[in-house]
Amino acid sequence: MNALVVLLLAAIGIGVGYGVYARSIDRKIIQPDPSKATPARMYMDGVDFIPANRNVLFGYQFKSIAALGPILGPIIALQWGWLPALLWIILGAFFIGWVQDYSSIIVGVREEGQTFGALSYRLISPRARNILLAFIYVYLLMIMGAFGITVGFTLMTNPAVPLGVILVTLAGLLAGQMTYKWKQDIILTTVVTVVVALVGIWVGTLKPVKDFFSALYGLQVVEGKPVSPNLFLQVTRAGFIGSLLVLVFCYLGAVLPIWRWAQPINYVSFWIVLFGVLGGVLGLLIGRPSLGDFPAFQQFTAPAGPLWPMLFVTIACGAISGWHSLVSSSGTARQLEKETDALYVGGGAMFLEMFFAIIAFLAATAGVGFAKYAELKGWTVPAVIFSQGLAIFLNYWGLDAALGQGFGVAYGSVFLTIMALTIMHLVVRFMRVASAEALGDRFPILRNVHVGTIIALLFTIFLIWFAPFLRIWGIFGAANQLMASLALLLITLWLMSKAKNYQWTFWPFAFMFVTTVGALLWQAYDSFFVKLPAQKTWDGMVAFITMGVLALILVVLAVILVVDGVRSIFRYRAELAKARR
Amino acid sequence: MSQRKEKYRQLLEQLECRLSAAGCTLRDIFYGMTLYDWGLELRKARGEVERAFTLLVFGDLLGIPILTPYYTLRLVPYLVPHLEGWRRSMLRERDVCELFDQEIG
Repeated sequence: MNALVVLLLAAIGIGVGYGVYARSIDRKIIQPDPSKATPARMYMDGVDFIPANRNVLFGYQFKSIAALGPILGPIIALQWGWLPALLWIILGAFFIGWVQDYSSIIVGVREEGQTFGALSYRLISPRARNILLAFIYVYLLMIMGAFGITVGFTLMTNPAVPLGVILVTLAGLLAGQMTYKWKQDIILTTVVTVVVALVGIWVGTLKPVKDFFSALYGLQVVEGKPVSPNLFLQVTRAGFIGSLLVLVFCYLGAVLPIWRWAQPINYVSFWIVLFGVLGGVLGLLIGRPSLGDFPAFQQFTAPAGPLWPMLFVTIACGAISGWHSLVSSSGTARQLEKETDALYVGGGAMFLEMFFAIIAFLAATAGVGFAKYAELKGWTVPAVIFSQGLAIFLNYWGLDAALGQGFGVAYGSVFLTIMALTIMHLVVRFMRVASAEALGDRFPILRNVHVGTIIALLFTIFLIWFAPFLRIWGIFGAANQLMASLALLLITLWLMSKAKNYQWTFWPFAFMFVTTVGALLWQAYDSFFVKLPAQKTWDGMVAFITMGVLALILVVLAVILVVDGVRSIFRYRAELAKARR
Repeated sequence: MSQRKEKYRQLLEQLECRLSAAGCTLRDIFYGMTLYDWGLELRKARGEVERAFTLLVFGDLLGIPILTPYYTLRLVPYLVPHLEGWRRSMLRERDVCELFDQEIG
């Protein structure tokens, strides 16, 4: 099948999903009223509540929901074949993804901008809020492990990448300096820093630089592949240096003021990502590659586990991601100018993210192809697959193959590394705040910025060095999809409390809940009864015991949540029946 | 002939209008993806400082008398327009979920 046919299928999914299904739900059930005052207008304080233009908010919402998930998830899921992955991306976004994002905004708007934490406390039970916080904490922890392995052990170990990452970071710091200290115009700042960043990525690919990092990593060619010597556990010298660079970056991001580090680096990296995506899409349209011999269906039981339920937690962002509900209710709902903008902002941004996931899917299938995907075990190194696919798409522009491939792979790797790192330092900030909030009274030392950060980084390094990537990704996806279940349950309860039709959110909730609990149970079983007995080293045992215990904790929390949820459903149904009588 | 010319002129005008509207939409979306977020962070940082300042001066409105009324009175004309939003913001129940305004993953 040609890549353009896949794009066409996605476009049809968006057209029918957004134009027909979403619009009919919006018009018939939610019935938004443009004259109704939204929290942004009612409680405008110029800080948290502030009305914004719908197009600006659409751009903001898309940027806020599209991170690494829609890139890595679809590539990992290709281990089952391309057809299940493609179907889940399109159908997931069609029936569940937009439903959650859009209705989270609507609930936030109609409930005076309350967050999901407060709503779960009120609509389900007081402990539902704590369960949500537990899902969030596990999610944050797993994200640190998954991204840490991706960056520290795969992307940074390519000797053409580290200098590019360091120079892009310095370009970000320069952007902050030019804006805040030298008071320079934003256009000049953007041009200078983006050019510095692009040149930096290119300099990183020069031979003397690569030779320097190869020597630092101790790389030696064994059977045609560069190999770094093993230091301890499964950690090579390259992986050790890569993971230390990750920790340093995250530490600085978590302790420095946001205007000095996180904000300007995020800004410069946005341009790097934008150029990469636009370049890739244009290359795709020029080259029009086909999916070739990539099998539509490979196997039911793949390395990550059985297709059902594991596929549905492997691809979260791009199809349905629980985290979007937090973003939509806490951030976007407080900035919506009119209720009628909710569908365009929430639903529209979700369908665009689905399109983004399809581009990543095509980078692996139509770009890299099956032979290379199987050879590299693409499900364990999705970032490498994406950067190689992006380089192939960039080559369709007619660039010299050596330049296009060398620069393209480095560009894709730096782009993913920076994307991951800018998320990771935010996560460390959140973890620091969470530990200070939860345990600060009992252990005042946790309120110290540096102590809180170092503790979060110790958890991170434990996961990077010990835990297997696929298992971390599975639990990360499950924690995310449990948040989606909670959000859909909340929305269902809210619809019931307003005596509106709730079937369109209840069935997605039921599906996501059963599937995610199934995925967690399978992971716990596999960790304890299949992988653990096969381990010969203590580090492998520690890793699988930790993963299995985490999976079981999430199952218990999910069961408590559904018990409270079902009780609430019966309560609202009884109230509804009483009101009808 | 002139009718046809008029029709073409109208069509061109319509096209120009649509293109300019599309341009504005794209510009806004782009702004939303780039600088809006930055401005939002700055507004939050400024808001925190302003909240703390108003608390020092008008703390008694929340039952926390801190400064003498003399200074408060001198600042009244400048702060009155913001007092309502400030009070709402200070008394609003906060939740850790408010931290999460962008995708992590």
